[in-house]
Amino acid sequence: MKTLIKIAWRNLWRNRRRTILTASAVVLALFLALIMRSMQFGSYEQMIRAGVNQTGDLQVHDTGYWANQSIDRAFFYRKKLGETLHGIKEIKSILPGLQTFSLASYKKQTKGVLISGIDAAVYNKQNHLSNKIIRGKYLNPNKNEVLLGDKLAEFLKMHVGDTLVLLGQGYRGITAYGIYRVAGIFHLPSIEMNSEIVYMNLKTAQNFVYPYQPGLLTSLSVFIKDPGQLQTVKTETEHRIGPNYEVITWKTMLSDILQTIKADNVSGQIMLLILYIIAAFGIFSTVLMMTMEKRRQYAIMVSIGMEREKLVWVSIFETFIISVIGIVIGLILASPIIYYLHFHPIPITGEMAKMYLQFNIAPVLPFSIKAHIFLSQTIIILVLSLLSALYPIIYLSKFNVLKAFRH
Amino acid sequence: MSIIEATGIYKTYQETKVPVNALNGVDLKIEEGEFTAIVGPSGSGKTTLLNILGGLDLPTKGDILIENTNLKTLGSRQLIDFRLHNIGFVFQAYNLIPVLTAKENTEFIMELQKIPKKERSKKAMELLEAVGIADKADHKPGQLSGGQQQRVAVARALASKPRFIIADEPTANLDSRSTNELLEIMAEMNRKYHSTFIFATHDQRVMDKAHRIVTIDDGKIIGDETFEGR
Repeated sequence: MKTLIKIAWRNLWRNRRRTILTASAVVLALFLALIMRSMQFGSYEQMIRAGVNQTGDLQVHDTGYWANQSIDRAFFYRKKLGETLHGIKEIKSILPGLQTFSLASYKKQTKGVLISGIDAAVYNKQNHLSNKIIRGKYLNPNKNEVLLGDKLAEFLKMHVGDTLVLLGQGYRGITAYGIYRVAGIFHLPSIEMNSEIVYMNLKTAQNFVYPYQPGLLTSLSVFIKDPGQLQTVKTETEHRIGPNYEVITWKTMLSDILQTIKADNVSGQIMLLILYIIAAFGIFSTVLMMTMEKRRQYAIMVSIGMEREKLVWVSIFETFIISVIGIVIGLILASPIIYYLHFHPIPITGEMAKMYLQFNIAPVLPFSIKAHIFLSQTIIILVLSLLSALYPIIYLSKFNVLKAFRH
Repeated sequence: MSIIEATGIYKTYQETKVPVNALNGVDLKIEEGEFTAIVGPSGSGKTTLLNILGGLDLPTKGDILIENTNLKTLGSRQLIDFRLHNIGFVFQAYNLIPVLTAKENTEFIMELQKIPKKERSKKAMELLEAVGIADKADHKPGQLSGGQQQRVAVARALASKPRFIIADEPTANLDSRSTNELLEIMAEMNRKYHSTFIFATHDQRVMDKAHRIVTIDDGKIIGDETFEGR
């Protein structure tokens, strides 16, 4: 085997320029593929992070709430539940929330809205909602006041300081009602959110929905330390809190973002495919030339008693060596750039930056350094290279020694 | 004792619409230790006969027995193995492996025979010494003259301890001096190791050294002379 590797290695360097050119095709393909995928996955991670900041990595609900989001599926927060969740070491923080639907009225205007009861300080830390206030002020934790989206305020013809009337169904069939001063008007990137959401302090919302017992929640958003441990933490949480609660991951809650990513990923994969085809042709043409060039050498080897299988190995080694050289150089060139751009993302300016900020996403192009990107691209390039070796394998398994001698 | 016994050998090539009969009923026996030249004009069938004797090609009709093994009964894998252990080749165009040095080329066939490294290295140097090219052991074929390459080819052919060596026009690309030196080496090997050589040649100098000259024309043997005392 050592001799076969030696022959393959020396065969490659008989035509140094061609080998360098072929390895360069691999380098270029891997380099571009890594940069592209890293940028793409970096953006996806950023989008997901922005979404997860809203929802949490996990949410704990009363069982059946996600499928049927009714206030009657709310639950009372129990100290034991909180202690159990805090006892899971992978959990970083917990954010309680109460959401319900209601009618919102001001003078002659009425509209169905989503009431979102939040812990104003913690929520703001997580989502920077105060930065989205375009008129008025952010919620004061000690006041019974609300924040409206600009579209909703426009519809209801309300201004900061006006009083909003809410009327809806409370917990266990009671009627929920209340009047609340508008503290501020916010603008979020989503038109739907701007025209439907009413934020208020969690305690205010709890009083609105069920004033007879404190602590009513529809969800506990759970933030975890390592997003890679999502499934493990979900399983452990489910196991610990028992069957009275359901645990939903962000993948279920943000399925629309995942769909968008999936669609975008396809375009990335098409670009990659083009790159792969270029690289594969580069390698294949070299392998083809090398095979044709060495027909006589192959004939000598078989005639003096070398098994064809060993020749096949020589050919595979040649392709493998070129690929590995290309892959190693490609990784050496791409890795520092990707690492640098991961820690120093490319800033986005102008209108695009504003759009990013509206979506609560930092206006930068981050690069992902996830190992799977490097691993998958390397494996794909290697497999493509080895596929190129199929031609010599087929040729060597059936070539005619005497005919090859004539070349 | 015959080491090769070819009986009623026919070879027809059907590569074009018109079939070409390269051999038309050749009967030939080669004894151990012979130094035989197969001669004849171009297209007479010398190379075809040599390819068949060397197991590189199979006859369309007829049998080729090498020490009681009928080559026609062997599969392609067995044939390769048979060649490895029984037949040495010296080609007109030297046909050394270009990326291996003279010593590695000589060793290569022994490696295929799974001879231990130490032993094959020693044997390769002995053979290169015997063909007078030990000082060029680390040279690759591209760094050797035609005569030197052909000497390495002879060393390689002998390295596997074959039952016989087939040499197809081994001197065709060599100058007079290299030809004489090569023939002397092969004759020496024949005397010293009792190696059996079968040449296809046009070269009178080779014929002058041969113990036996088999003349072939139109795919048939038309003459077979033995020269005692050469």
